[in-house]
Amino acid sequence: MQRNHPVGEGRRVAVTGIGAVCGLGWGAASLWEGLRAGRPGISSFHRFDHSRHRTHLAAEAGEPPESFVRSCPGWRRLSITDRFALFAAREAVERAGLALPLGEEAEAGVYFGSSTGGMYESELFFERFLRDRRGRLSSLIPQQVNAPGDAVARHLGSTGPVATFSSACASGALALGAALDAVRSGEVELAVAGGSDSLCQLTYAGFNALRSVDEVPCRPFRAGRAGMSFGEGAAVLVLEPLERALARGAEPLAMLAGAGASCDAHHMTAPDPSGEGAAAALEAALADAGLPPEAVGFVNVHGTGTPLNDAAEWQALKKVFGERAGELPLIATKALIGHLLGCSGAIEAVATVLCLHHGELHPVARAGEADPELPVNLVLDEPLPVPGGRAAVSTSLAFGGSNAALVFSPWGDQAA
Amino acid sequence: MSEPVLITGLGTLGAWGGGSERLAAALAAGAPLAREVDRSAGYHLPHGARRACLVPPGELAGWLSPGEARRMSPPSKLAVTAARMALRCAGIASEGGDEAGTAVVIATAFGPSSNTETLLKQILDEGPEAASPSLFMESVANAPAAQIAIALKARGASVTVCEREAGPLIALGTGAAEIAAGRAGRVLAGAVDEMTPLLHALLDRFGALAREGEDGEELARPFGRRRNGFLAGEGGTVVVLESAASLAARGGRALARVLARGSAFDPTAPPSGWGHGHKALARSLRRTLERAGLKPGDVGLVVSGASGAREGDRLEAEVLRAVWEGGPLPPVAAPKAVMGEYGGGHLGAAVLAAAGSSLGPTPGFAEEDPELGITPLDGPLREAPSVVLATSLAAGGAAAWVVLGRG
Repeated sequence: MQRNHPVGEGRRVAVTGIGAVCGLGWGAASLWEGLRAGRPGISSFHRFDHSRHRTHLAAEAGEPPESFVRSCPGWRRLSITDRFALFAAREAVERAGLALPLGEEAEAGVYFGSSTGGMYESELFFERFLRDRRGRLSSLIPQQVNAPGDAVARHLGSTGPVATFSSACASGALALGAALDAVRSGEVELAVAGGSDSLCQLTYAGFNALRSVDEVPCRPFRAGRAGMSFGEGAAVLVLEPLERALARGAEPLAMLAGAGASCDAHHMTAPDPSGEGAAAALEAALADAGLPPEAVGFVNVHGTGTPLNDAAEWQALKKVFGERAGELPLIATKALIGHLLGCSGAIEAVATVLCLHHGELHPVARAGEADPELPVNLVLDEPLPVPGGRAAVSTSLAFGGSNAALVFSPWGDQAA
Repeated sequence: MSEPVLITGLGTLGAWGGGSERLAAALAAGAPLAREVDRSAGYHLPHGARRACLVPPGELAGWLSPGEARRMSPPSKLAVTAARMALRCAGIASEGGDEAGTAVVIATAFGPSSNTETLLKQILDEGPEAASPSLFMESVANAPAAQIAIALKARGASVTVCEREAGPLIALGTGAAEIAAGRAGRVLAGAVDEMTPLLHALLDRFGALAREGEDGEELARPFGRRRNGFLAGEGGTVVVLESAASLAARGGRALARVLARGSAFDPTAPPSGWGHGHKALARSLRRTLERAGLKPGDVGLVVSGASGAREGDRLEAEVLRAVWEGGPLPPVAAPKAVMGEYGGGHLGAAVLAAAGSSLGPTPGFAEEDPELGITPLDGPLREAPSVVLATSLAAGGAAAWVVLGRG
């Protein structure tokens, strides 16, 4: 997706708030603490009986903070996915220094990604309905994929545009790209963008049927890797024009500098092994940011840990970064929080922002041997300093060949 | 929008059959296209809704290869067929490379429902080990958009929008933005949905669907006093979007022009209904018209998303009345009375109206609701409108508008 508008046209877009829920805990601070320690949140889980499934691990979000539950109207009627979304949105908006309801910001746009919405609750309904044609219809209300984004808009009191993207694992990144466009073009002055998904039997069984799930915590880019690990949660970023953020005294965490998207047009589940589609998204995002590949200091890779995906992503990195591809530090957030599907692009965007903000790249545990076919520079065991003044790229490479990439640049002391 | 965006092709199939000519004929005739839904699975309530606007059997013949027909879900088949129809309508060869950098933006309210239902039955009845990988890969919401991209080698962005009834217009607006910003040379934008017996039964159990009225007919009756729900529908509708420069270079013709797009949200809406936030929605609609340099008085026809939903039509009327500030409204068409809700027929009707097709009477409308004060179209307009406003207010709060002009 080539962006032809001249660099500098439109407004620079700051990230002024982040919020997150995942297997490492509720809140961006818990996420960063776990990421920095390289502590995987992937283990046995309790959401549903997985004894008959092929694998038995997931990064399940724990119990929410009691104070949030008490302050959240209609909590019991919300799906788990909606609960995640509302927590992350509220945290992000509060971090941005905005009060709820949004008041004069009420025409904020809400851009969200989700793969399955309230599918978990739907499964509970269908189990009963298919058996005896009974079931609580109210449990189906949040079933739709647009439910989490709509719930966030409702919670914030927003009257601006709302759009939900459901392009599998690229959904969250596409939502952030749409939000970037809307802020940059002046369509909205504030965007609340992210994604949310929860564990459910449909995706757990489906990916297992495809033999895409590892029996041990996923091992992106390592020899012997055998698939992904599931995660769940939500992530939200608040975006606004830099000038506006500074004028109201907000401190940017980072800048969202560019976005790009493409399609492999190759196969429903297998990536194009040449990596051309993924490379096209990366190149489009860099062009959109007005940055050459040399300006990139690290990549938060899609890194699912499936043999084919990681190999295709390595080909894409080689196409875009050439000889630097093997030196460029890579972070693989999914190794710690699992694959959050429609939310993965959003939570990996938050992880990328956290790395830029703290000036450190989060590590992953050294799981087995390096894959000699994929000679990447994965950050292992200990955090690394962020290469000074450089931009970061986060990639999302989805089912159906939908690819998206985001470019973030540092703000403040880390800026060049 | 910086670059003029043109609609150069329309592909559509639904209860009206396959092709934009069939849709145009059905809209001109103004007769509802609903037929009996298969209720044999026992999902339906005994006295519930019985009819839906379903794609007649055999309409996909000749549009898909045997391999495609075998591996695709029903919505993917509808989407790929509609995309090929749209490209043919635009005079563009549908296979053989993507020099234009084609993006695909498809809206769906429910995704591949039949595959999801079958997969859930496998998992819940027989156990997770019975889950079929081929069903799973065609159960994801973005399967139709992905299959269009695979079939047509479209390597631009592949985007699936889910925003219920507002999705089709949001998809069109998102696609138009891709062209206007120069990010894609061509966009295939539209909507697809299938209406399975289970989905039909559940919509009815929520009280969303039209039930038999005092006249013994199960009709949508948009804006009517005795409306009691909508007719569910299914289908696939795809338009080809191009820039004026791109069209000039290849020498085609345009059906219509996208003048402006907008969307908004009503936070007073409950998750499965409509709220009372017409003022904010009207503000957004007014601004959308202003972006096109238009005043409400410039609109020659509203192709309304009113479907016969009691609260949805009420909110739609409040928004229109607020935009026109109590003054006379332009003619208002409510084509969902003919082809039902979902599947993009409404989007197709708006494009056809902008291209000069006549829309006929609104079936089922017998008596105006005095609280709404809108009588939908009762026959063809004397003059083709030069500006068409399409509106869609979704249950749950989302709303979208698109302003179309002649091509």
